Amino acid sequence: MGTFIQLFVDGLSTGSIYAALALAIVLVNQATGLINFAQGGMAVLAAYVAWWCVSNGVPLILAILVSVLFSFALGAVIERYVMRRFERGDPDTAIVVTVGLLTLITGVCGWLWSYNNQQFPSLFPLDTVQVLGASISVRSIGTTIVIIAIMALLQALFIGTKFGLALRAVAVNPTSAAFSGLPVGRLLMAGWGLAAGLGAVAGALVAPQLTLTPGMMDNALVYALAAVILGGLSSPIGVVVAAWLIGVLENLAAVYIPFIGYDLKVAVPFVLIFVVLIVRPQGLFGRKAVVRV
Amino acid sequence: MSRAADLFSRSWVRWTIAAVVVVLLLVMPLALPEFANQTIARIGVFAVAVLGLNVVMGYTGQVSLGQIFFVGVGAYATAYGVQHDWNIVLVFLLSVALPGILGLLIALAAARLGGLAIAMVTIALPIVGVPLAKRLSDVTGGSQGISARFTEAPEWSGLYNDQWQLYLVLLIGGIVFLLTRNLVHGKYGRAFAIVRSNEAVASSMGISPYRYKVMAFTVAALIGGVSGFLYMVVVQYTSPETMSFGHSITLLASMVIGGAGSIIGSLLGGAYYVLVPQLTNLVDPNLTALLQGAILLVVLFVLPGGLVSLPRRIARSVRRSAPHGDAPPTSPTRTATSRPVAEDTHTERQDQA
Repeated sequence: MGTFIQLFVDGLSTGSIYAALALAIVLVNQATGLINFAQGGMAVLAAYVAWWCVSNGVPLILAILVSVLFSFALGAVIERYVMRRFERGDPDTAIVVTVGLLTLITGVCGWLWSYNNQQFPSLFPLDTVQVLGASISVRSIGTTIVIIAIMALLQALFIGTKFGLALRAVAVNPTSAAFSGLPVGRLLMAGWGLAAGLGAVAGALVAPQLTLTPGMMDNALVYALAAVILGGLSSPIGVVVAAWLIGVLENLAAVYIPFIGYDLKVAVPFVLIFVVLIVRPQGLFGRKAVVRV
Repeated sequence: MSRAADLFSRSWVRWTIAAVVVVLLLVMPLALPEFANQTIARIGVFAVAVLGLNVVMGYTGQVSLGQIFFVGVGAYATAYGVQHDWNIVLVFLLSVALPGILGLLIALAAARLGGLAIAMVTIALPIVGVPLAKRLSDVTGGSQGISARFTEAPEWSGLYNDQWQLYLVLLIGGIVFLLTRNLVHGKYGRAFAIVRSNEAVASSMGISPYRYKVMAFTVAALIGGVSGFLYMVVVQYTSPETMSFGHSITLLASMVIGGAGSIIGSLLGGAYYVLVPQLTNLVDPNLTALLQGAILLVVLFVLPGGLVSLPRRIARSVRRSAPHGDAPPTSPTRTATSRPVAEDTHTERQDQA
């Protein structure tokens, strides 16, 4: 029982990291209809920025804040000068553009900081606490709490503020939003910036666990995409729940199903997807899209 | 410019060019040094892989980030069959059928989702494929990989190994290219194009987008399998690294840079896949990924049609910059000269360009 609880909480914490990345993907998708495959790469770059700050004597919390701000600016700049040309165009081309960005950003990280693993300091102490006979790391608990806090903040932003309302308006219908006087371009930039900032948080949280490499987020991106498919592109809460589900299930499967083990647990979300797809093609929480000719 | 295009449009010129190309391809392996032959053979291998990606992505409009997985499965199937001394024709069929079946199963689930989700699902293929290949070490040799030598030149041919391998690649690759060309130019190609441009319209015309997406994906997997077989013909060794995520992205980049939805573009893509990483590695191995990403983005910005659209772009800009008095006389002379000589239907197409 102790192991089970421990696996469950650890699963929630890794699931939270996927959730942060998945929320960022949903945020961009809701605003522009794109899937940003560079989201993981941008998070890695942000983590490198934070790491670079730390190794130059900046306190960790401050360094992470700097990396979040940096990411916000980077996201906004990428939206304005790269993606805008391809938005509302052929979605295939736009996807390829984000894949190109992923390669480029990974390449920049590798070029500036080499492909060697770097130790990233943990935001939380490496202690464990005893709960119901299971020793649970403080990091797991901390990560989960941070993600829940961010989710709540985002929800408040979207529902409680004028800015959030404007973002949602742009997402639903950019043309009408423009007619009603909203600065669509600037809002899209802000949307991308927010998403990148969210990714930066994910980067800072995952880096101590995985050690920092340019390809660090490749797997996390895959999990995040799986969470996005499972949760449905239109539902932020669904995406977070799906990410937690994936995190917990893959952790349990790694231990309790001998064939899967730690190396193959990345396959778990996709088996899950297959099962869900057969029943609900629109995802667990997604709405069915209706297309008019 | 237009005279050259005009000349090219006549069918006897086309046939002559085709014949010259075939003869060149037959003679080339004998004349070139070993290294060149090997490089060309590798280009052939990846041109076939890019061609498969083109069927699913260029022609049908589904972004697949997992094509390299099918290449890997084909390579492993070949290696396994060869190691167990199976008949080579059987091995070839297996190395094509196995990826095809996997592709069909994946497509049946993935094509139920919208276009974007196919990209999201297929990204998992290389990422799951690598640990899976390591795990199934009885079949795949684990991280060590597996090698299979079966393409030594036979005695009677009097060829060197590299020549024999290149001939195999040219023969099998050539057949695949011809078959694919017929596929995408025929009935199915038109259905693919309609599904690509507008799914709702397609289904209202009685063309099931789901069926054609699954079909395109399966065909792409089959072609990927052929590419995997050819990979073993040339490289004779495969490991989990063959189907890594990075390679999958490079394959996608090659297709876009060569030219999506184009047969010639697939060849150019294959050349990009093999040659450019070698060049960027020469510059600085640490810069490789950066340069490749930058090249991809530059091509998307400057030349969205890929390298294959470059001649057309140049022709257009030349025509635009030329003085206007030049333009009218060329078209009458063209119609005057081309109509009586050869009554072919391709002249109409010239007028659009």
